Amino acid sequence: MAQLSYREAVSAAIAQEMRRDESVVFLGEDIAAPGGVFKTTEGLLAEFGPLRVRDTPISEQAILGAAAGAAMTGLRPIAEIMFSDFFAVCWDIVVNQIAKTRFMSDGQCSFPLVIRSANGGGARFGAQHSQSVENWAMAVPGLKVVAPSNAADLKGLLAASIRDPDPVLFFEQKSLYGMKSDVPEGEHVVPLGQAAVVREGTDVTIVALAAMVPRALKAAETLQSEHNISAEVVDVRCLVPLDTTTIFSSVSKTGRLVTVEENPRLCGWGAEVSSLVSEELFWDLDSPIVRVTTPHIPLPSADTLEDAVMPSPARIVENVLKLAD
Amino acid sequence: MAAAANAGAPEEETRLELYRLMQACRVMEQRAYDLFMQNLVKGTSHLALGQEAVAAGFGAAMRDDDYTFCTYRGHNHTLVRGVSMTGILGELMGRECGLLSGKGGSMHLMDVDKGAMGSYAIIGAHMPIAAGAAWSAQYRGSGQVAVCFFGDGTTNIGAFHESINFAAIWNLPVVYVCENNLYMEYTPISAVTAVENPAADRASAYGLEPVVIDGNDADVVFAVAQAALAKARSGDGPSLIEVLTYRHGGHSRADPGKYRPDEEVAAWKERDPLKIYRARMLEAGIDETAIVGIEEEQAARVDRAEATARDSGPPPLEIADTDVWADGSSRWRN
Amino acid sequence: MDVLMPQLGETVSEGTIAIWHKQVGDAVEKGDLLIDVETDKVATEIEAPVGGVLARIDVPQGETVDVGTVLAVIAVEGEVVEEATVAGEVVEAKAATPVAPPSGLPTKNASEKLSPAVRRLLKQHNLQISQISGTGRDGRVTRQNVLDFIAQGVASPKSEIAGERIPFDRIRRVTAAHMVKSKATSPHVLQTIDVDFHRVDKSRLARKDQWKADTGYSLSYLPFVARAVCKALVEFPRINGSVDGDALVLHPQINLAIAIDLNFEGLVAAVTRNAGGLSVSQLAQSFNDLVTRAKTKKLTPDDLQGGTYTLSNPGPFGTLFTAPIINQPQVGILSLDAVKKRPHVVETAAHDAIAIRPIGILAHSFDHRAIDGAYSAAYLQRLQSIIQETDWHSEF
Repeated sequence: MAQLSYREAVSAAIAQEMRRDESVVFLGEDIAAPGGVFKTTEGLLAEFGPLRVRDTPISEQAILGAAAGAAMTGLRPIAEIMFSDFFAVCWDIVVNQIAKTRFMSDGQCSFPLVIRSANGGGARFGAQHSQSVENWAMAVPGLKVVAPSNAADLKGLLAASIRDPDPVLFFEQKSLYGMKSDVPEGEHVVPLGQAAVVREGTDVTIVALAAMVPRALKAAETLQSEHNISAEVVDVRCLVPLDTTTIFSSVSKTGRLVTVEENPRLCGWGAEVSSLVSEELFWDLDSPIVRVTTPHIPLPSADTLEDAVMPSPARIVENVLKLAD
Repeated sequence: MAAAANAGAPEEETRLELYRLMQACRVMEQRAYDLFMQNLVKGTSHLALGQEAVAAGFGAAMRDDDYTFCTYRGHNHTLVRGVSMTGILGELMGRECGLLSGKGGSMHLMDVDKGAMGSYAIIGAHMPIAAGAAWSAQYRGSGQVAVCFFGDGTTNIGAFHESINFAAIWNLPVVYVCENNLYMEYTPISAVTAVENPAADRASAYGLEPVVIDGNDADVVFAVAQAALAKARSGDGPSLIEVLTYRHGGHSRADPGKYRPDEEVAAWKERDPLKIYRARMLEAGIDETAIVGIEEEQAARVDRAEATARDSGPPPLEIADTDVWADGSSRWRN
Repeated sequence: MDVLMPQLGETVSEGTIAIWHKQVGDAVEKGDLLIDVETDKVATEIEAPVGGVLARIDVPQGETVDVGTVLAVIAVEGEVVEEATVAGEVVEAKAATPVAPPSGLPTKNASEKLSPAVRRLLKQHNLQISQISGTGRDGRVTRQNVLDFIAQGVASPKSEIAGERIPFDRIRRVTAAHMVKSKATSPHVLQTIDVDFHRVDKSRLARKDQWKADTGYSLSYLPFVARAVCKALVEFPRINGSVDGDALVLHPQINLAIAIDLNFEGLVAAVTRNAGGLSVSQLAQSFNDLVTRAKTKKLTPDDLQGGTYTLSNPGPFGTLFTAPIINQPQVGILSLDAVKKRPHVVETAAHDAIAIRPIGILAHSFDHRAIDGAYSAAYLQRLQSIIQETDWHSEF
């Protein structure tokens, strides 16, 4: 085990995969010589050289288009979109080209690529650099969607994403970049499509993603110590493919579900999980399903405002107590 | 407009091949039109009648393992890579024998085995994808070249500019071919473009040579194609070629093209690439029976293709949710 | 026009379609008998609210649905009736982040909040919600409450007992649940007193034959005891009450229920409202009416609701006394068993003698949360004096 930060886990994973597979290449803005604006990709240019690790102009459509063209002709590209809000600039390439072409071609080609991006709020960057957009990706057939909550998962899931034969949108929560934790040394791969029960409990299931997972865990501690409520916390990890088995077995045990989502209220990923549970686990539910989300607003930039609107451990606790008997 | 006079005359075999490719395109597109009028081709279809010389010229010059990227007006560009005409007509008709089993349609023809890497319906989107394929070839050192066809309207969209800049700075083996048929959908290109030659006048912005050629002269297209391919293949980077041509029909089957002046249409139809080339071949002493042989061969071919496509049933319903993922499924959950 | 499951009594929440008398396509006139419906204790009928054609039946025979459910649709002349929309209430998850649920919808009380998990457990274990106390918010029965109840072994699992199996019908099940709950709710105390009915008999026997000729039924001891109870309850109002949380609520009038056996097939307690204002003959008539209607299944739900005190009279069978189970939410129940001629010591100033007197034992079960033994004993003593000393001729 090594102590790595969430950001260090990025280059650890990319290096691991680039060492074992020559077809893995990496492009993006300021990712090579500068080592990434969030310092996530330091050292890669030095180890793998300028043919495999390439800085690009500010041309998101070209970056992703090139990744697509390379992926369909034998390479395994990793592309970076610096802030996930910028996906809007090149969304056509993602949803119309990358997501749909295999299907339209009747399976003649595939797109083994990964698009990594810094996602979400908490850094006081303002609305155009702070949104969590993994729910946009979840809504598009043909895209796999991954959002790790800790460094070890990031390393393992990024490695799995690079090895995956399909397009993966890999969302790194920028508010987590500094978090250090234990990360297995050596080859580490966490398969896609597996959620993790990160805290066991019996009274309520809290399903969370990415930066909301640590907050859910804090809330669970408070619920236990101050309210004697035993909360089980499930880290979804992948929105597509979605591990409904783990989520369902938890909700079946506790009878109660709360989701914690960084997305704005409407059509956040929790809405889909909520719908699946209410349809398929209806008879196991002992209370209504509650979603804790950011309200349906762009994120304000002032630190106090941003902190107030993003789901906090206190707000999670408050919402769980609403369900309590 | 560059003159064709001094283009090095190709050999007879090449000329016949060029004519064969153009004739195949012509009869197929005409048949597609007929089938559309009989409501056997559904949805929409964008025909390139009148623009055959461009596809044929490049098709004859390309290596088998080169990559083609084209637009939704890409039936010809796909056919000239040696793709099955039955598959193309079948796809237009939504049949099981279609090139894409009915899942893609007229605007998305693709045959990866033949290097036809797709027809793309979003304006400009395939330009960076072509750059990516070229990057892949460069990285692997395979010597393959990507050729990307698009229209005059594409030169004003963001992806055009991003892609050419990108290809230029990375010195990618990609040939960008702008088929300027003077109209961006229903609007004259000159009304919406700040410069006269929508592609060539932008070339210098990316450090490339401005090239404008007569797209209805197959010999000219062929020669320029060969040069651009050789340049890319030898590592000397991308080209941007503006090819002047004209479509006989409207933008799509739904469009009768009434916004174009009759004299203009008539003049261009006089310059029909097949007409021009047929006359030139005879003038060059090529035996007419060989020419007629090609015409009859392609006429029979398109009849066979149509008959086979008609006989083919609709695709089985079970394929509707297949091949979203590489494993053949569309599963998003366990 | 929709035909709905009606509210068949104040606290009735659902009913079962026993028999459909019409089929889809039948012409119906307003008032025609459409359906026989059964609730907890009563069978009743639903008539066509309007004339037309029975266009659609949404709930078939044998199914139990909530009050207010659309059972069928009658197409009035010219009306087009659409396919039924998907049945089953959608419970909308109304929890928005910090905001209160939208107004305009009636909020449910705890007894209506049966979660899907609870409903399923009840069904699986053949339980009634009335058997289970809720400790959830606002008294809601939670999934854990049901699981705990089951774990206590109170629910009847599939039994290994040998013998002919007689499944409980609806009345039996409801009665069983009520009896269990009553014993679980009220700490029962039994007190008895023996009563000399010879003064009652003077009146009763004198009128007996005429009464029978006039009415067709016999004049029993019950209406006399009922009259005495009504007088006594005026002086002991706490016995005519109900426990509500931490309080005893005294009812303003006496609605006297009598226990009626339905030919060994079940028990109902039918109510005579405002019994305190009735004479012995009026009480007798009311009781007879109730018994008759009970035995012919013609009781209405209101005949079964609102009782404040109950009399049980198994007398005809000759039993000595019974320890009856309180009819919730009342706090007392009185049983009069057989009145039999017995040797009885009669005291006079001069000497003690033995006489043959008709003696009956009144057995009183009371809820010790509400009242204590002394109060009940005083009440019984008063009852005894009233029965023994009233000039019954004037009570008719």
